[in-house]
Formats: sequence, C-alpha cells, structure tokens
Amino acid sequence: MFDLILQATYSGLLSGGSYALIALGLALVFGTMRVINLAHGEFVLLAAYIAYTVESQMGWNPLLALPISVVVVCITAAIVYLLVTRLDKNREMNSLILTFGLGVILTNLVLFIWKADIHSTSVGWFQEAVVLGPLYSMRSELLFFITSVVMVAILWVWLDKSWYGRAVRAVSSNRDAAKLMGINPHVTELISFLIAGILASFSGVALYCASVIQPALGNALTIKAFIITILAGIGSIPGVLIGAVLLGVSEALTITLLSSALQELTGMLLLLFVLLALPNGLFGRAGRRG
Amino acid sequence: MRIGEKLAQTAAILSLAAFASTAVADEFVVGSNLPLTGPQARWGQEVAEGFKLATEAFNRGSAKHKIKLIVTDDEGNPAKASAAAEKMISDGAVALYGGFPTPAVVGAANVATKAGLVYMSSGYGGTKADFKNFFQINAISGYQKAIAGTMLDMGAKSVSLIHNTKEGSAYVATAVAKALTDKGVKVTMHPYDSAIADFKPIINKIKLQDRPELISMVGYESEYIGMLRAAKVLKPEVKAIVCAYGVATPKMMADFPAELQNVYGTTMLSYPAEFATKDGKEFAEAFKKTFNKDPDYLAQFGYVSGQVLFEAIARAANAGTIAKGGIAAEMRKTDRETITGRVTFDETGFNPHFVLRMGQIQGNKIPLIWPKEAATGKMNFPGLPW
Amino acid sequence: MKIRFLLPVLAVVYLAIPYLWGGNNYVMSLLVAAFIIAGVALAWALLANLGGMVSFGHSAFFGVGAYLSALLCINYRLPVLAGILMGGIGAAVASIAMLPALRLRGPYFALAVLAYANIFKILAMEFKGITEGAAGVTNIPALPTVMGFDFSSKLGTYLVIVTIVLLFTGSYHLIRVSHYGAALKAMHDSEDATRVVGVNSTLLKAMMLFVSAFMTGVVGAVNAHYINFIDPDYAFDLGWTLLPMVAVVFGGYRTLMGPLVGAVGIFMLDQLVFKALIGTGHQIMLGAVLAVMVLFSPDGLVPLIGDKWKRIRRAQA
Repeated sequence: MFDLILQATYSGLLSGGSYALIALGLALVFGTMRVINLAHGEFVLLAAYIAYTVESQMGWNPLLALPISVVVVCITAAIVYLLVTRLDKNREMNSLILTFGLGVILTNLVLFIWKADIHSTSVGWFQEAVVLGPLYSMRSELLFFITSVVMVAILWVWLDKSWYGRAVRAVSSNRDAAKLMGINPHVTELISFLIAGILASFSGVALYCASVIQPALGNALTIKAFIITILAGIGSIPGVLIGAVLLGVSEALTITLLSSALQELTGMLLLLFVLLALPNGLFGRAGRRG
Repeated sequence: MRIGEKLAQTAAILSLAAFASTAVADEFVVGSNLPLTGPQARWGQEVAEGFKLATEAFNRGSAKHKIKLIVTDDEGNPAKASAAAEKMISDGAVALYGGFPTPAVVGAANVATKAGLVYMSSGYGGTKADFKNFFQINAISGYQKAIAGTMLDMGAKSVSLIHNTKEGSAYVATAVAKALTDKGVKVTMHPYDSAIADFKPIINKIKLQDRPELISMVGYESEYIGMLRAAKVLKPEVKAIVCAYGVATPKMMADFPAELQNVYGTTMLSYPAEFATKDGKEFAEAFKKTFNKDPDYLAQFGYVSGQVLFEAIARAANAGTIAKGGIAAEMRKTDRETITGRVTFDETGFNPHFVLRMGQIQGNKIPLIWPKEAATGKMNFPGLPW
Repeated sequence: MKIRFLLPVLAVVYLAIPYLWGGNNYVMSLLVAAFIIAGVALAWALLANLGGMVSFGHSAFFGVGAYLSALLCINYRLPVLAGILMGGIGAAVASIAMLPALRLRGPYFALAVLAYANIFKILAMEFKGITEGAAGVTNIPALPTVMGFDFSSKLGTYLVIVTIVLLFTGSYHLIRVSHYGAALKAMHDSEDATRVVGVNSTLLKAMMLFVSAFMTGVVGAVNAHYINFIDPDYAFDLGWTLLPMVAVVFGGYRTLMGPLVGAVGIFMLDQLVFKALIGTGHQIMLGAVLAVMVLFSPDGLVPLIGDKWKRIRRAQA
C-alpha cells in the first residue's frame, strides 16, 4: 500500500509539473492584464502539432521543433494581443468571449490542417523508463517536469530582477501609476503575451513527446490551465507550480485510494474548496482597486 | 382537335411514358445522418466512406434499381440528427441509416419511426432499441463474446479490466466481466474518467494489488496508448494485454508500432487483408482505390449495412411493397454472408450472429487469432509489448 | 421593450411561422432546437445583466432539470407538464449549492460554477441506481396531447417552447422594471453604496440565481421530453452554456430581445448557411462571428439594428 501511495504521489508530482508549464502562460497574462486568454490551450496545441509535423515530415527529433513553434506561436499570440487591445468596453468580460472565439477558430484550423487523428512521438527515447528506487516514470515526464520547474524559476527571477519584469509587475498592480513612471503598458502587455507564447511552445512540444495529442485537446488544456491559474491566485508565479502539483497529486491519490473514475471530481472539489475558503486563490493578492 | 386524334395522341404519350419508365431505373432515396464534424467526426467519416462505397457497388451491379444517397452531418447532436432526419424524409428518403453516439441515433430513429420508415444504425450503444423497424448489424454482444472468448481460451484465472466510464465502453466492459466471472475467472474493474492523463496510478494498482494474469481494456485510442506506455514503464507481470475496438487497426499499428506489439484487439479483417470471399476482395480493392487507404472496421460496418439495406429495398421494390412497409419486412428476411459474417436480424433488430474477431499485432501484420474458424494466424501467447 | 413591438412579435411567432412552415418538419425541428437555446440564453443573460454574474456552468441547471423531470415522469408517473415544472424547481434548488460562490468575483465565480456543473455530471454518472449512469435514461414520455392537439409533434413542441420563452421574456421585463430591478441596477453601479442604503445585495443576487436556474431547468426538461433520451454527457454538455453565450453576444447583451434574436439568428445561420458553405469545421464560423461581434459591436446585433432603424426613421421624419 505504501508503495502505491509513494508512486501515486510521484506520478502526481510529475503531472502537476506538466500542468504548471501549461498554465504558466495563462497565469502570466491574467496577472498582467486581468485578461483570461481562453485561446491559450490552442497555443499549446499548435506547438504540439508543429512538433508532430517536424518529426513526421522532416524526420527530426521533435525537440528541434522548439524554435519553429516559438516563432509561430508567438506570432499567433501577438495577433491575439492586438485584437484584445482593440476592446475598449468591459474588457474583462469581452476578452473572455473574444479569446474564446479565437480559440474556436484555432482549433478548427488545426482540424483542417492536421485532421482528427491522434499523434504522439515515436522517438523511443522519450518512453524509456526511469527508475529511482521504487519510483517509476518515463523520461519524457521527467523532462517535462524539470523544464517546468526551470521555467517557473526563470520567470520568477525575471519578474523580480529584470527591468521589463518589474515593469510587468508594475503595470499589473497599478496601470496608471506605471504610466506615470514612464512604463509603456502596451509594450509590457505585449511582452507578457509573447512570453506566454514561448511558455506555450515549450509545453506543446513537451506534450507531444510525453503524451498523445488530438485537436479536441485545446479546449481541455485551456480549462485545466484556467483552473490552476484561479487556484494559484493572481500574482503568484510559484503559486502556479504549487497549485498544479497539488492538483496532480490529489488526482493521483484519488485514483489510487478511491476510484479512478473520480479523478475529475477531485479537481473540481479541490477548486471549489479553495475558492470558497480563499476567494483569491491560494496565494493571490486581493483584487486591485480602480 | 377531334376526339379521335386526341385519343391517339394520349395513347402515344402514355405508351411513351410507360416505355420511358421501364427503360430508366427506379431511383430510391436513402438518407444518412452521421457525425461528420465534431468530436465523433472520425467515426462518422469512416462509416460514411463505407456506406458510400456500398452505394456505388450496388448501383454498378443493379440495372433496375438505383440508390440515391443523401448524407447529412448531424454533428453527433440529437437535435440536429432529428432535424437531419426530418429533412431527408421530406426529400423523399425511403429509409435512413446512421447516427452516433447513442443520443443522436435516438433523435433520428424517433423521427424515422414516426414516419414509419426503417432506421438502420451502426452506432447504437445500448442493448434494447425500442423503435419499430430498427436494425443494427453490430450488436454490443459481439464485442463481449470476442473479448471474453479470447481470454477464456487463453485459460486466464484472473483479469484486471480497465474501462472508460462512457456508456459504450462501460457496457462492453461490464458484459465482458460478467462473461468471465460466470466461468469462475476473478475480475477486478478499474473504471476511469475520460479526463485521465496518467495511467501509471491505475497500472501500479494492478501490478501491486491485483496481480492478474491478463490486463484487458475498453476505451478510446489515445487512452490505449497512454495505458500501454504506462505499462511499459511499470512492467506488471501479466501474460497478455487484450483490448477492444480501435486498437488492431493498420493505422494504429503504423503510428504506434512500439507500443502495440503482441497486443490484442477486436477487428473484422486481418492485415494485410486476406479475404477468402470474392465479396471481401472486391470491397478491399474498391476501398483502397477510392479512398487511398486501407479500410477499417467502421468502414466495414458502413459497407455491410449499405449492402443489406439496399438489397432489402431492391427486393421490396420488386415485390411492389415499398409503400406498405415492405422494406422492413424484407430486412427481417435478411440472411446473408458478409465480410462481417452472417447477418440476420432478431425481433429486437440486432444481429444475433454478430461476433467480432480478435487480431493480434505481430510485427507489422495483424493476423486474426480468434475465433478458431476465422483465424489466419497463431496467438503469440504469452506476449507483451516489452 | 416597446409595447408596440409586442403584437407584431406575437403575430410572427404564433401565426406567421406556423402558417408558413408548420408542415415542414425540418424547419420546425431547427426552430425548436433554436428556441431551446434561446431559453437558456435568456436565463443566462438575466443572470449576467441583473445579477451581474457571468456563469460558465449553466449546463448544470439544464442537466438537473432534464434528469429530474425525466426520472419523476418515468418512476412516479408524473404528468409531463408537472415534471417540467418540477425540473425547473429542482434546478433552482440545486443552485442553492452554489450560493457560497456568490461572493466570488468575475472569472472566479464563472469557474466555480463550471466546477459545479462538472460535479453534477459526474454525480449523474456515478449514481447508477438512480440515473442509470452512463447508459442514460430512455423512453422519456413525450409532451402530452391536450384537447386533441398533439404537443409532441414538431409544431406542438415549437408552440410549447416558444410560449415558455416568451413568458420568460415577459418575466425578465417585469423584474427589470420592478423595484428589484432598480435595486439591482444600483447595485451594479456601486455595491457598497447600495449596501449602505440597506439593500441586501446578496439576497438579490441569490434570487436572480434561482430565477435563472429555474428557467434553465424548465428548458432542459422540455428538451428531455422532446428528444426522449438523455445521458450525463448530453444533459450536462458544455455546449448548453457556450451556445447561449454566443447567442447573447451575437444578439445583444443588455436588451430584452437580444438573447432571443441572437439564439435563433446564430442557430439558423449556422445550420442553414455555414454548414452549406464549409461543411466539416463550420464551427470556425461561430468563432469568427463571436470575435467579430465582440470587436466591432460588443453590444450585439439588436442594438445595432435598433440604431440603424432609429436613424432611418429620423431621416424619414
């Protein structure tokens, strides 16, 4: 029994890590602009399909797809950003609808181009087992997790130390004051969208290597990212990792100790519990005024 | 004009008309509502291809009767399926075929039944269909017979059964479990929700707690791959992995050769397709030519359903009973060998002879290994993907 | 809504449409499906406008209404119309579970309600003894025959759903012009100020949630008796929240007729035009419509048409 729980916790930790990377881009944009980009899952999906094309058409290792997907996804992200800034009334609600519509367009584009079949990498290296004592995992999962942690760390440091990073935080907490300080909020917001694009690219390529992709996935990824973002609360980057791991571990433990049919239920109950007890998420600051 | 001339003219026109109608073949409209878009698009498109092929084959082989096919996309949605059925009936359909998943079938079948028409499906996932004149070739019981039968032939004493909670999978899994426990096999069930990402916790439970001889799974393609990858990492000590539909297909084998070695799945044809009958060879060649790929089990269902339906329509037309519910009557009289086996229909409209076959992925071939009468190869047992 | 519009609308709905297309089951099927969406759209808009809460989980109310009505009619032989009423009441009762979420703001509330919707779906799957689980509920009784007229026919169902939607629209209007409506409007402008004056904003919001849930539950129940089959995936499908949202955005956020016009409009547009033009992947047009509407006319179509109409009349004067 102990072995089971240990493995479940480990598996949950790793899948939490992958959720975190997927959610990070959404969380960043939400924190900076109070905009929930419902097309984020489709960014990840796009990157995953680019990795597939790179592997199947050119025979390269899918990791080499990273530069290409970063370029493509960032261009897409920039377009989404430009459209979002065109909204003037009631941005919070309307951006939700706009990005949702854009997400639908992207999913259908993916469907047009790549059809509905499932795909995953056939590079065997990724599925090889890594055994650490009684703990098993696939190489790809471990890679995904490590990438995730590294990205979270880099982002955290960047937000704290770099000029643009601090500008992002400034704009996030008080847009007008930031303007007075000489920060161009438009540029800053565009940067956060682009970074979200980069994060989405990494997630997408990793997703293709670690699991199976299909066009319907875009929606599911967005919802998962959304849940984790809200769980973590606004303004906390490490919160995203912690929230995601919490979710992953709860799911794995539910499967092991209760029934595997209840995995989804766990996520929902966890979310509700956190929201009702801590209305601003686990680590969120209270909503900004004005 | 004087009476005599008028009579002559009328006679001439009438005889011309009579001549024309015998020279031109009767055309019968058949409507098909299928999910061509939406989450079930793959299912719908494959079935549509098979059905279309059957239409072309029938029209080529029949001088007296022609089938005009209308295909409408119902997006897998019951309200749209219902609307699609209404439209096709108003366009003159004499029979309808299609629908997936079950709510969509119900939506369209209701409309067809109210209009007194035959409704044929390949996608109804329940056991009872309370519609008059409902017909389906692939009964769920066929899946269960094949999967349980194979495992019993392997002589297993304990099985862990993983399945998706959605209706179709859950039903087959429950039926398989019952068939096994009735013969004294110990079965542990592991239902999972479609949102699942990582199968390792389930496989680990199986490995450490159940310790079965066989693992069996009923679910969807991406889930099979996820489960097999998790199993390859954890390496539970089992003798074989027996899956359900969607696994033993040429496409899956081509896309995921490493994961699927020695895995069993339900299928109708071996790969490369070895057809004993002329019927089968024709089908495979025509399919490859028209669609540039190998047919899979869904296309076969579409094809056979079409064959059976169109032949019934032709018989009813010959007997002149179409307006009087003749198609339904002829359907009930169906007794035909097809590439999916023998087809007859019982009172519930399902085909009691429907038994799926089991194939095993060996190298880059998929021989049929169950039932013995249809086998084209030997089981690689015990055998695992690792 | 101006009273002078009422008569023409009633005439179109009850006279023109049945006269023109009553015999065409195909058009009737589409209209029934469109008005089901319209009903939910109205309920959704009511919650968003009067209650100030955007919900991503209306499918919860839809599904609860459907299941409750279906099971009551099958197991307890309740007459169908009574079942539909109970479906609505049941959905309202179910929304009590969501009361704690009322204090959450914006996207947090939206997501919390989505979580509830998913939970209800899973409960419907798991409690097989009551709900038949994934197999679903079959043979749900159809709408009854009253005074010789078969309401389970396409035309009959159309009349039922259209009447229900119009009644709901009327109720929406009455709430808006009542002093509840005034209080809610004030609440939007400043929740703090209204609290100071003594308005119990939480109670008001809760009432709006109940009303919205009730309406959606009723519509869900009608749909169950129309299709005669439900299963957890269908009854609690995300589409029952998303399509009404698209309808509301398309037709108009703040007007009374907006959701209605939007639902019927976008549904017919999608089924009759987009599908014919594009075939597989025609949903891409829905996404495009959504994006374009939000960017260029965020108040929706009805106000756009209303403005144009006013301009024409002014030019004529």
